[in-house]
Amino acid sequence: MKPIENFKWIVPVFFAIILAASVFAGCTDDDDEETIDIKGSTTVLPIADLAAEKYMDEHDDVAITVSGGGSSVGVTAVADGTADIGMASRGLKDSEKEKYPDLKEIVIARDGIALIIHKSNNITALSQEEIRGIYNGTYTNWKELGGPDKDIVVVGRDSASGTREFFWKHVMKKEEFVEGMLEKNSNGAVHETVKGTEGAIGYVGLGYVDDQVKAVKIKNEGEEVEPTVQNVKDGKYPISRNLHFVTNGDATGLAKKFIDFVLSPEGQKIVEDEGFVPL
Amino acid sequence: MSFLAPSKLSRKKRGEGTLTEWVIEKLLFISAIFSVLVVFFILVFLFGKGYQIFEEVTLWEFLTGDKWDPVGQNIEEKPYYGAHPLIMGTLLVTLGAMAFAIPLGIGSAIFISEIAPPRIRDFLKTGTELLAGIPSVVYGLFGLIILTRWLQINFDKPTGETWLAGSILLGIMALPTIISVAEDAISSVGKELKEGSLALGATKWQTITKVIIPSSISGITAAVILGMGRAVGETMAVMMVTGNTPIVPEPITNVFASVKTLTGALGIEMGEAPVNSPHQHALFALAVVLFVIVLSINAGAMIIMKRIKERHYGIAGKKKGSRVLPEPIKNFTDSIKNFTGPIKRHMDTILGIFAGIILIWLLTSWFGIPMGLVIFFMVIGIHFFSQSLSPKNYQTMALGMVTLSIIIVLFLLGALLYYITAEGIHALSWEFLTESPRNCGREGGIYPAIIGTLYLTLGAIILAVPLGVGAGIYISEYAKETRVLKIIRAGIDNLNGTPSIVFGLFGYAFLVLYLGLGVSMIAGQITLALMVLPTIIRTTEEALKAVPHTLREGSLALGATKWETTRRVVLPPSMPGIITGIILSIGRAAGETAPIMFTAVVFSQPGLPNDPSDPVMALPYYILEMSMNIPGGQGNAAGAALVLLLLVLSFYLLAALIRKRFEKALKGFR
Repeated sequence: MKPIENFKWIVPVFFAIILAASVFAGCTDDDDEETIDIKGSTTVLPIADLAAEKYMDEHDDVAITVSGGGSSVGVTAVADGTADIGMASRGLKDSEKEKYPDLKEIVIARDGIALIIHKSNNITALSQEEIRGIYNGTYTNWKELGGPDKDIVVVGRDSASGTREFFWKHVMKKEEFVEGMLEKNSNGAVHETVKGTEGAIGYVGLGYVDDQVKAVKIKNEGEEVEPTVQNVKDGKYPISRNLHFVTNGDATGLAKKFIDFVLSPEGQKIVEDEGFVPL
Repeated sequence: MSFLAPSKLSRKKRGEGTLTEWVIEKLLFISAIFSVLVVFFILVFLFGKGYQIFEEVTLWEFLTGDKWDPVGQNIEEKPYYGAHPLIMGTLLVTLGAMAFAIPLGIGSAIFISEIAPPRIRDFLKTGTELLAGIPSVVYGLFGLIILTRWLQINFDKPTGETWLAGSILLGIMALPTIISVAEDAISSVGKELKEGSLALGATKWQTITKVIIPSSISGITAAVILGMGRAVGETMAVMMVTGNTPIVPEPITNVFASVKTLTGALGIEMGEAPVNSPHQHALFALAVVLFVIVLSINAGAMIIMKRIKERHYGIAGKKKGSRVLPEPIKNFTDSIKNFTGPIKRHMDTILGIFAGIILIWLLTSWFGIPMGLVIFFMVIGIHFFSQSLSPKNYQTMALGMVTLSIIIVLFLLGALLYYITAEGIHALSWEFLTESPRNCGREGGIYPAIIGTLYLTLGAIILAVPLGVGAGIYISEYAKETRVLKIIRAGIDNLNGTPSIVFGLFGYAFLVLYLGLGVSMIAGQITLALMVLPTIIRTTEEALKAVPHTLREGSLALGATKWETTRRVVLPPSMPGIITGIILSIGRAAGETAPIMFTAVVFSQPGLPNDPSDPVMALPYYILEMSMNIPGGQGNAAGAALVLLLLVLSFYLLAALIRKRFEKALKGFR
């Protein structure tokens, strides 16, 4: 019996820990601060998150919660009132406008879509037709485009992604993607795969262009345009889209103040720092 | 309990007790039947959301259609909901995982229970359990950054994100389950069997293959099937390494093709599919398909478990008499007779030729014809070479293979731990643990995420413990072997095998949307509680059953009621066992991403949540977002992964410690 006795301490100690933790959980103070929830596209998330951080530094009694989930989640959350501001990397779909006629979209930044390849690839520039050819399966080896004798590994985003939808509409001209395209569920995953795969090509937001991968210049009207914030701003770089906030009706209160903050020079500075294109 | 009450006073006392007794029994029954209700609810809700897709396509088209394009990105802009490639993806990846995990797992189990010295045995058991404690997001990162790159370079393929990568990763993740269940089965083989075989002059290896494995084969099969259930339902890791291409590999044996699994589609697309769109309905229908696959695997496991129990009780029942020996000897002679029987030998030849043809086909399709043939003849050569060896040398070789398998498992564990530590150690600092994130998490710390994970986990445990322990007590102490008990057992087993992403979808559909809890801490806690419930029920039941019957009888004989006996006599000595189960559940709940992804978490919020209706930050989700969606977030993601791992591992070590002391304590008991 003796050894069992030795265990008696475990039970009270265990429950004491749980109790202490739950008391601890309860003791955060409630004050009447103004709160908003922002939800949606993971592409827009860094802008909203940094802006929220800055805004809360400057204003007391304000609480802003930021969460991802995706553009559709953001739009739906605003429509049913579970979020105050939605983030969307695409415009509202017709079906959404029809279903929720009160929704308003506000462009807060532009996002250039860069084509990235492995650093060892000697290709420097591609035309939009060539890119389409790669993504619809016309080209399967880099040597067909003047590159090394390597199979092209086509990397895209998952079928639900707003970035992919934009790419499909504007670069693919609604042509079908090649069978066998790798589907990644985030910009980071595309970057990670392209970084480690010699024959790979992928598309990511400008914020993901770094020295671990090579960004392809786009042949546009006889010029080879590098994917940079400046070139998108000047309208030279052709593959870019708007990023949106979505509200239910006109924004009021803190939501309005926050949106104004993002559109202010201070907010647009954040946009630029994060690799997006200010308005 | 039919004692005559000796006096009026005690009869009155007993009378009072009866009502309490009745209430308690009913309460315990309710907690036991709860699991069945949950399984039922999960099915109803998934089905309720999923069946609407059949307004778009027929069931046949859904299951056999070979194009998955739910948003219609083609010229006609017509969506296709063909789940066939996804179902095949799931089946192929799981099959591959098993081909990898079965030999390693069973080899390791044999080594741990039959060969390893006792001191090393404990170390190995804890080691393999640590493998189970690594969060699946961390497996995913390891797979994406190390494994796929290794495959790509070594096999000179365009990409390493393949069916094979998914299989290897899932194989590793299924190993702990396979090893621990198989090890239990192997070590529960009676000592008399082994001694009998050895006394007849068989070598250790002959004893293992001809006596021990045949008599524990049901348990080993169950281990394999449970491991398979784990592999089928895994989401976060598999969606990071398989490439997610929704086409059936061409040819089907092409392990270097990219595939998309059911769980991958759910994990990736759920957040982007508009609510109540056909796309979302299609995803819920996929979840139903996944659930059905897992349920059928579990049903298989249950049938086999039943057989093993019957056999076990059969032997145990005879233990009292002197008929223990005839059965093992009969088994032993039977297996020799079977092996030498002429028909059996014929069968072996046919099977051998058949296996050879399949092997040639596979090898040539993987390595090209010349290389494949070379490897094939090497395999054949080794086979015949080993046939010509003396039993002694054969044993040396076989034991070498078994030892090799445990070495591989330990190597994998070491590689994972080294990778996580090496990546994450730079980020660790006091500030990292105690501050809020700044600059999108690239600076500052992860304090709110740590606290959020603790809230979620503790909340889940507080909800699950009363229900789980109650159900465990009911099954072990109160229930009679009736149909109701069978249904309860089936409910618990199915809940145990339910994929975590299915819990997540259920939490989203039922708690977040239907009950209107919104994305909140409480929704996450309930979802996690449901997920860990079966673990707590099972460990409680086992712990209670380990208490000797004589104690209960003694207590009842002294006039204590059933509940008094349970509470005062049976529960105290089984407490450490129950706490072990609770701690294992804490580890599981802390490391899971899929159940909380749609129900509870946010990327950032100021301060800590004030009440249960607030959302929280949590480590697993934070790691996922930081590593995948924030440029330059990888460093701190790795740091957070290390913190999460240390958190989960310390829970597991605590559990191991308690169990060890518990085992010692029980020894003192007997």
